Order: sequence, then structure tokens, then C-alpha cells
Amino acid sequence: MNQFYSVLSFLLFIFVLSKGAFGQASEQKIDDTELNSLLMTLAVDDDDLKAETITSLAKSGDPNLEKFFELYRQGSVYNWPDQDGGVRIVVNDETEMDDDFNEFAPLFEPISGKPFLVDGKQAKPDLLDLEDISPGRSLRNLVNSAKFLLRIFSKDEEVRSSGIKKCGDPPYLSDAVPFLEEMINDESINPKIRWLSRESISLIQFSGQLEGKDSFNDRVSALKTLGELKSLRAKARIKDFQIKLDQALEDQKISASAKKKLDAEISKVDRSLESHKDTVEMSGNLFRGISYGSVLILMALGLAITFGLMGVINMAHGELMMIGAYVTYEVQNIYGHSPDNPVDSYYFAALPIAFIVSALVGILIEGLVVRHLYNRPLESLLATWGVGLLLIQLIRIRYGDNIGVNSPTWARGGYEVAQDIILPYARLYLIGLCMAAVGFVYFILRRTRQGMLIRATMQNRDMARSLGVRTRNVDRFTFALGSGIAGVAGYGWTIIGGVTPDMGQTNFIVDSFLVVVTGGVGELAGVLFSGLGIGVLSKVIEPIEFGDFVVGPVWGKVTLLVLIVAFIQFRPSGLFAPKGRLADKK
Amino acid sequence: MKPVAHPLVESKRSLTVLAIIGFVVLPIMYSMDVLTIGQINMIGRYMTFAILALGLDLLWGYVGILSLCQCTFFCLGAYAMGMHLAHHGGPEGIIDANGWKLPACLFVVYPYDIGESSGDALVPFFWKPFWNLPLTLLLGLLIPAICSFVLGYFVFRSRVRGVYFAILSQAIAVAGWLVFCRNDVKLCGTNGLTRFDIIAPAESLTTFHPEDAKDQWIASHDGDMAQDLNADGKLDQLDYSMAEVGFSLAEPTVQLSLYFITLLCLFGSFFLCKWIVNSRLGRVLIAIRDDEPTLNFFGYKPHQYKIFAFCIAAALAGLAGMLYIPQMKIITPSNMEAVRSVLVVVWVAVGGRGTLRGAILGALTVNLTYNYLTSEHDYGFFSWSPDYWPIFLGVAFVLVVLLLPNGLIEVVDRFKEKFGKNSNPNSIEKA
Repeated sequence: MNQFYSVLSFLLFIFVLSKGAFGQASEQKIDDTELNSLLMTLAVDDDDLKAETITSLAKSGDPNLEKFFELYRQGSVYNWPDQDGGVRIVVNDETEMDDDFNEFAPLFEPISGKPFLVDGKQAKPDLLDLEDISPGRSLRNLVNSAKFLLRIFSKDEEVRSSGIKKCGDPPYLSDAVPFLEEMINDESINPKIRWLSRESISLIQFSGQLEGKDSFNDRVSALKTLGELKSLRAKARIKDFQIKLDQALEDQKISASAKKKLDAEISKVDRSLESHKDTVEMSGNLFRGISYGSVLILMALGLAITFGLMGVINMAHGELMMIGAYVTYEVQNIYGHSPDNPVDSYYFAALPIAFIVSALVGILIEGLVVRHLYNRPLESLLATWGVGLLLIQLIRIRYGDNIGVNSPTWARGGYEVAQDIILPYARLYLIGLCMAAVGFVYFILRRTRQGMLIRATMQNRDMARSLGVRTRNVDRFTFALGSGIAGVAGYGWTIIGGVTPDMGQTNFIVDSFLVVVTGGVGELAGVLFSGLGIGVLSKVIEPIEFGDFVVGPVWGKVTLLVLIVAFIQFRPSGLFAPKGRLADKK
Repeated sequence: MKPVAHPLVESKRSLTVLAIIGFVVLPIMYSMDVLTIGQINMIGRYMTFAILALGLDLLWGYVGILSLCQCTFFCLGAYAMGMHLAHHGGPEGIIDANGWKLPACLFVVYPYDIGESSGDALVPFFWKPFWNLPLTLLLGLLIPAICSFVLGYFVFRSRVRGVYFAILSQAIAVAGWLVFCRNDVKLCGTNGLTRFDIIAPAESLTTFHPEDAKDQWIASHDGDMAQDLNADGKLDQLDYSMAEVGFSLAEPTVQLSLYFITLLCLFGSFFLCKWIVNSRLGRVLIAIRDDEPTLNFFGYKPHQYKIFAFCIAAALAGLAGMLYIPQMKIITPSNMEAVRSVLVVVWVAVGGRGTLRGAILGALTVNLTYNYLTSEHDYGFFSWSPDYWPIFLGVAFVLVVLLLPNGLIEVVDRFKEKFGKNSNPNSIEKA
């Protein structure tokens, strides 16, 4: 058992380390003074200067300004000159009235939205003291688009790229074009953002909304640029354009020969986009398959130990995963992680804890139930099912039906390997976790003394015992290892899926048993291959279409099951059947 | 494990007790108003579970095949009967373009598309055979049997056994559940089939098509203006659809008869299983459980016997499903969740696998306990909440598996051994 405790203490050490290293992230404070001085110029009675100010305000990309622009457009922004005539920009949304029907305006800070304090109290001057500085007619449009521009210039890359994308979607925002062009030429900006700007400009031009460049020829040349950019968004717009072309031909705005020429160019671009789309979809399916496969492997790995090595059918395996998921939830609560207050380090800390707690529950199950049922697989199947039922209900009584595990912030978004092929970080993390878990199990089984004892006991229990191996302890350790890995699988699941008390029964148990059975019992390699195989196969089957009928997840699963049954016809003991003397054992 | 050798001859006394309770005591209690018709109905439902358990016991207790998809077969039978009842139930159905009455539950889930009139939604083709009651009964037995045959043929032939088969069958249960939950298989998805009002109307016995049924009805009532329900001076389809033809499921007498039918079927299944177990065939089946490789060596083909047992179990499950539906009056896919099939195994294990009486005892005990423990009880020092039921079941089940591998029936037998004067010698033999 020494090995076991050393593993435990090692994991605890990692936990302590991670808690220390990832402590508290300090939030950067935004300096408002510069913005405030810019705001002052809004009080100046010069439209050109105002326009310049609005533009530079928008370029700051401060998300607080969005609210301000909205208020400014409504005319809720005022200048409240102080005694010396100095400018004080304030916001007033609603006025108050006293008993004599004098209107007072409670004032707010323009950017932060906090009450405007004078001598420690919210200022409530007479409404008549306030000077209206709402934008004139000429500026109103600019203020409107300033809200968009704010997003384009946002410091947050995600907000920024979605803002830029939006410019190129209907209704097209042609006002943004100069700014987008500016961005394209700015070498310091992220190439992805610059690419998006080019795409959006071309989309705007292709839509015919760009003044001066709205002839059909200009639009097709924009389409060509889009084709070079391999813009998938352009694909959806081509059809509209073709309808417009047909219309134009009918109205005799363009000649048939000119249209033919344009058509040829369009179809060329269309084809290249189509092939790009196919590549993207195929690689997307492949990646989804691999990531689903890694989830399956993670789920089946613990089972490969308890079922494959020990021959125990542990129907509570899914519940051990569920416990891992709930431990993650508890750790999240201890760390105080929530979407508003992200503490990402909790996720790393939860990993060893989920492993340990599930392993402990596993030891408990082994000691109370399973150890009486070795060599009686059907009975152990039933008894552990009862244990699973018990665990589900205990968790349900304690936590209710649904809880939210919030993924750490880094799990949002993805890594773009090639254009439009985005690998979500959450999935990548799972693949990494799966590989780490496989490596961990392999290391323990093949490279440690405890692993050697496990293998010896599983191969020939009597001989091992007669050589002095404490097979009781080995059994306990093996079961704990398998349960711990199940906990890790549940922990990993929280990053992509929901957490419910019966998640083990509905999502995991059948799939993971199928993986083990298909892979062949008793071989880790079998689990790897069948897990990946089933994962990729199911993601390849799902999107297949027959006319109107899309296979989808349910029929995909049924098909997969038929395939597995058919497969078992040829390889009754799975992909990696035990050979030689071991084959006779079961 | 190698179960203890079980007596091939079942104790006759326990059967007599069951018959007396079922046929005499309960009806008398009902007539004396000790039991309500609802409770009789409930016991009838639990007896269908006993039939289901009998099938599994034949399969698991005698052949050693643990099937975790019995409820799928149960639901195949139940859906067959459900479609039949839905055809004839509910006056508010709509007549489709082919003259078929679109059952209410079907119409709710699949109303006509925009731009269509109400007659454009059609009754799916596979619903049509279930118009006729005898055909429905036949199909309710055959469909599960055929499904199990196909499955068994592929699985047993490739020598999938033991836990592997258990896992595979559970996967099939999950797949079946997923399929029945889909809306596009035209079985009303998760809503399930409901609106069952009438059972065994005359039309369902003799006709295969609602048009024929209507014509027949009008012809047979021609001149009987008492049936002119909407008082338009002639007998037509409207009168036909409003006329009460058949037995209303809400009637206590109908429910009582269903209870008796179920009880008869339970005895029928019991004797069928008993006959199988006691025949030469039964000995081969038990031999499969105890030592399949040797049997193989003797030149038997175990997979044929296994397929046979699997089909019988599936047909019994289908029968149970068909009896369950008119007493439950709704069938949803939740009845075929993987958990339900494991529950059947729980009944058999608790009652005692390998004895047919045990299966019946287990199904009735567990379900009656379930019925009792899923309502609130206040014991003064402790108030019981329905939430605790799964915990109770889980713990009880683990304890039974660990401490009572032969189930409750063993306790009963020991008790009889101790106190019974002339108990059946065969039943004690095993101890």
C-alpha cells in the first residue's frame, strides 16, 4: 500500500501547489481621466470637433462607453457648468419633482454610471441649470455607429472580432469601412482581426452597400477577394446576388454576355468556397470524433481496470464519474468561481480531489460489496447497480436535480489551427486529460512495483498469493485506481456537459462498457483503439444525409450499435483478444 | 456463480395459495369494499409485471442469460396494444383522407401542416394492422419474439455470453428507448400513447378497416333509431363515432375482468414455463446454465436453445405489456428506459432466481413495497419520504444479492421446512 499513499501525497502536493500558484488574479483598472478630458470637448459648439471627439471616444473601445453613447443619443447628457464656467459633463436620466413642481435632476457620472457627488452627496441641481449638449442631426448617425465602433475597437478580442463580423452582416454597416481599412493597414493588430476586417469590407462591397463601388463588376470583384479569403460567410450571400443578377437581366440593366461572364466568375468562387467548406466540415468531424473518442476513452479507462483487469462488473462506475463531477462542483464553490468572478485555478485543483474522492468511494464499495462477489460477475453487476441507485438518490437529495459547473474562462473559445477550423480549448483540454490519464495508468501498471503486483495477481492469483503478495490489498488498490480514473472522467465531463445525479446512467455506463467490450477485455490498447474508433465513427455517421433525412445522434447511435453487434460476429472477444492461456480464463 | 441445484418440480402449495388469494380473497375483499377498484387494478398491473418476471426467470434463472432489455420487449407489446386502443379510443379523433380515424394522441403530436386541412394528416401505415384485436394480440406476441429472434440469432451464434450479453442487451435497451423517444418514428415520441377509452369493441373483432366497421355498424343498426344520437333522422358516421361500442375501460366491471384475465394469463405463463422447465428441453436449458462448453462438446447446439428461451421470454414480456396497457391507460417510452429492465432483474433476484414461484413472489413483493414506500408515512419518530425509496431499494437489493443469493423464496422455504408438517419434499431437497 506504500505506493498508494505516495501517489496520494503526490496528488495532494499538486493540489496545494496549484492553489498557491494560481491564487488571486488582480484586475486591471482602466484609467478614466483621459476619457473624461475627451468628454469635455463635447460641450464645445463645433460639430467637426465633436465628431472628432466621438470618433476618438469610440476608438478607445471602453465597454462602459456603450451605455454613455446610448444616453448621449437620447439627449440625457448635459453640461453642468460650475461657478467658474468650467465644463462638467453629467448624465441625467429622470428628473424628480418637489412639492412646488420644481424639477430637479439627480446627476450621474457619465462613464462609471455612479451618482455624481458634490460634497459627498448626489448633486441635484435645477433642471434649468443644465446645458443641453445632445448631438445635432448631423452627428446623430455618427453617434449611432459609434456604438458599433466601440465594439470594433474593444480591448476584448472576442468582442472585437464579433463586432467586426457584424459589420459585414446585414444590415451592412458601411460607415465602418474607413475604420476597418485603417485596421487592415495597422501592422500591430492581430492578423485574425485584420483578416476579419478585410472580409467584412468585401462583404459590404459585395452586398452593394458601399457607395461608389456598387456596380455589378465591383461587387463581383469583391466576391473574388472573398474567394481568395476563403470566406465561408460569403457563401450564404451568393444566392441573393444571383437572384439580383437575374432580375437585372430581366430589367435589361446588364447584357446577357456580361452576365454570362459574371456568372462564370461567381461559380468559380462558389466552387472554391464549396471545397473549402468540405475541408472544414471534414476536419471538424474528425476532430469532434477524436475528442468524443477521448471522452469515451476517459470513461472506459477506469472500467478497463475494474472490468478488464479484475473482471468486476461495476455498474456504479457511472456514479463514480458523477461523484467526480460533483466534487468539481464543490471545489468550484470553495474557490468561489462564478461567471462574474472567475477563479480559474479551481479547475486544476479539482482534478486531484475528484480522483481522491472517487477512489475513496471506490474503496468503500469494494470493501462493502464487491469483495464478496469476486468470480460472480452477474451478481456483482446487480449489487453495484444497487449501489449506483443509492448514490444517485443520495446526491439527488443533497443537491437537487441540476447544478451548474461553470467552466473556467480559458475553456471558452478555441484555437484556430487553419482558417475556419477551430479546436475548442475545452475539447483540447479533454484530449490532453485523456492522454495524461492513459499515461498515468500505463505508468502505474507497467512501471511501478504496485503495478507489477496488480498484473501478477490478475494473471494468477493463487501463485501471487503463495509468493507473498497481499492480494486483498492489490484488489483494493486496483479498484480504487479504476474508481479514481472514473472520477477524473466525471471531472473532465463538467467542462463540456451538464451535471445531473443520473448522468452516469444516462450518458456513460452503456457507452463505456461498449468501448471495453469492443476493445477486448484486459488490454489498455484495446480501449484506446475502440474508444477512438467508436468516437470517430459516430461523428462520421451522424452528419450523413439521405435526401431530407439526416442521421443525427439517435439513429447514429443505433447504427453504431448494429455495427458493434456485427463486429462481434467476427471478433467475439473484441479487437485485442487475450491470446494463449489467458484466453481460456473467462 | 453456480446456483444451488433447484428442484425441477415446483411446490404446488404456493401456487394454490396464490390462486386462492388471486381468485377468491381479493375479489371478496373488493366486494366487501375493503379494496377499491383502483387497488384491484393496481394489483392487476403488478401481475403483468409478474409475467414479465417469469419470462426473465426462465431466461436468467434456468438458462443463465441475463437480459437487460426485457422492458423493451414489454414495451413492444404495450405499444402494439396501445396502438389498438388508440384506434378505438376517444371520440374526438379526426377522419383522415383514407377513411382512417386519426387517434387523438397521434393528432396532438402530429397535427396537419400549415396549409393542409385536418384530413391531410394520415394514419401511419404501420398503425393499420392494429385495428383488429386478434391481429393485435398476435402481433403483440410476435413482434417481440421476432425482434428477440433476430437479436439472439446474431448474438448467441457468435457466442456472446454472460456479462457481455448483459451489457449488449442494455445497449439495445438504450437504443430502443432513444428510438421510441423520437418524434419521427410516429409513435408520439415522449408523449406516448394515451386516450384509451374502449376495449374490444365489436368492430375490432371482425373488421380490418374502419370504413368496413362503419358500414357494418350502420347496416346492423339500420332502422334502430334509438342509435340516432345526433337526431338527424338517419344513421351515419357521426352516430357511429358517438355510439358506445365495446367495453369502457372506466367501468369497474371491465377493470375487474381485466384483472381476472391477467391472473389467468399469469397462471398460463407459469404453467408454460413450468412445462418447458420440466421437459427434456428444460434439462438442456439448465445444462447450458451450468456447463455450456460440455454441452457443446456433446454435440448440442446451445445457441438454438438460447434463442428459443430468449424468444419465449420476449413473447411473455410482450404479453405482459399487452395486459398492462388497458390497466395503465398510458404508455410512454419512459417504460423502456434501461433502468426499468434492470428493475425486472431486481424483482427476480429478490424473489429468487431459478424458481418460477420466486419470480412471481419477487415481482409482487417489490412492487407492493414500492407502492407502499413511495407515499409519505409518519412513524412518529421518523417520517418517511418517497425520496428514500431508491435508497431503500438499492440497499435492500445489495443485501439480497450478498446475503440471500437465492432470494426471498429461500426464506419462505426454510420457514416451511421448520414449521410445515407435510411440506413438499422436493422443495427442501436442495437445502
